[in-house]
Amino acid sequence: MTDHVTTWLEAYHDGELQGHRLHQVEAHLARCETCYQELRRLEELTTLLQSEPAPAGLMSADRFVQAVGLRLPRRPERPAWQRALKVGWQLTPLGLLGAWAFAQTVLVVTGILLMTRWLGLGGDLIASLLPASRGGSWSGELLSLSGAGLSDVVPTAWRILSSGGPLGWRVTLTLFALAVIGLLYWSWLASWWVGHQRLNAEVR
Amino acid sequence: MKDPASLSAEAELDLISRAQQGDRQAFGELVRTHRAGVINVVYRMSGNANLAEDAAQETFIRAWTNLSRYRPRSPFRNWVYRIATNAALDMVRRERETVNLEALPLTNPGDGPEAAVLAEERSARVRQAVLALPAASRAVLVLREYEGLSYRDIADTLRIPIGTVMSRLNYARNRLRQLLALELEEL
Repeated sequence: MTDHVTTWLEAYHDGELQGHRLHQVEAHLARCETCYQELRRLEELTTLLQSEPAPAGLMSADRFVQAVGLRLPRRPERPAWQRALKVGWQLTPLGLLGAWAFAQTVLVVTGILLMTRWLGLGGDLIASLLPASRGGSWSGELLSLSGAGLSDVVPTAWRILSSGGPLGWRVTLTLFALAVIGLLYWSWLASWWVGHQRLNAEVR
Repeated sequence: MKDPASLSAEAELDLISRAQQGDRQAFGELVRTHRAGVINVVYRMSGNANLAEDAAQETFIRAWTNLSRYRPRSPFRNWVYRIATNAALDMVRRERETVNLEALPLTNPGDGPEAAVLAEERSARVRQAVLALPAASRAVLVLREYEGLSYRDIADTLRIPIGTVMSRLNYARNRLRQLLALELEEL
C-alpha cells in the first residue's frame, strides 16, 4: 500500500479534517492496515493520557471563588481627572492631525491669496488681507514654496526668513510648527507602542 | 472537564463587561465557570495538584488585574488559559526543587489497594513523561488532550501559527510514545 495518510492522521484523530481530505483519509483507513494501526496507537496514547485522574482533594468551587475574591487586589474607580487624562491621551493623535491640517491650510490659503494678488485679481480686498511687502521677492518665492519638494522647502524658507519680511516669519513659524507636530505624533506612537509591549509582557 | 462553558456567550460577555467595570461578583461567576479548566491546565502543565490550585488562583488574579485589556475577539477561555499556561510554567520554575510527584494524592477509592498502587504508579509515570516534554510542546499537548481545544483555539491561546501547533503536537506525541512504550503495551 502506498500513499499513506500519516501526515493527516493526527488531524483526523483530533477531528480537524473536513470535506475532501476527511473522505480521503477515511477511505484510505478502510483499506490500509498500516495507517489503521497508526491511528490505533494515537488513540491508545490519548486513552492513556486521559485515564490519569484529575487531582483529588481540591477545595469546592464556592471556596475557590471565595479564596480568589479575597486575594483580588483593589481596583478603585479612577478619579475624574485621571479618566479625562486618559481620554485626552487617546485623542492626542486626532488633535495633532487637526493641528497639522490647520497649519497646512494656512500655508495653502496664504499661497492662494498671494497668487491672486500676483495675478492682479481681488483688488483692495486681497491687499488688505496681506501685509505690505518690502522687497517683493518673498511673494514669488512663497509661491514656489507651495509647490516645492521637501529638498527645496528648507532653503526657500531660509531665503524668505532672511528677507526679514513679516510673512517670512509666519511661513517659517508654520513650517516649524509642522515639524514639531510631526515629532510629537511620532513620539506619541512610540510611547503607545512601548506601553502596549509592556502590558503584553505582563499577560504574555 | 472538556467543556467548561456552562454560560451562554452573551451571558459571559455581560459578566466580562461588568467585571471590567469593577464588579467582583461578576468576576466571581467567571472564576466559577472556568475554575475546573484552569486547574486542569495548570495541573497537567505542572504535575503538582497541591500547587495547581494556588497557580489557578494566581491565574485569576492576573486575569482580574489585566481584565481591561481583554477584547472579545477571541474566547475568554483562550485568554485565561494563556495566563494559566504561563502561571503554571512560572510555578514550575519556582518550585522545581521541591516538586515531589510521588507524593501527590491520586488514589481512586473505587479500586482495591493493589490496583490503586498500580494505578498510582502508572499515573506518576504518565505525569513524569508529560513533564519531560519541552514546555512549548507540553502546553500544546495539554490544551489538546486534556482540554480538547481545537487547533485554532490552541493557536489563539498560545499565539502561535496552526502549523506550529501541529508540529509541536506531533513531536509531543512521538516523544510520549517512546517514553510510555511499556504503559501503552499494557493497554
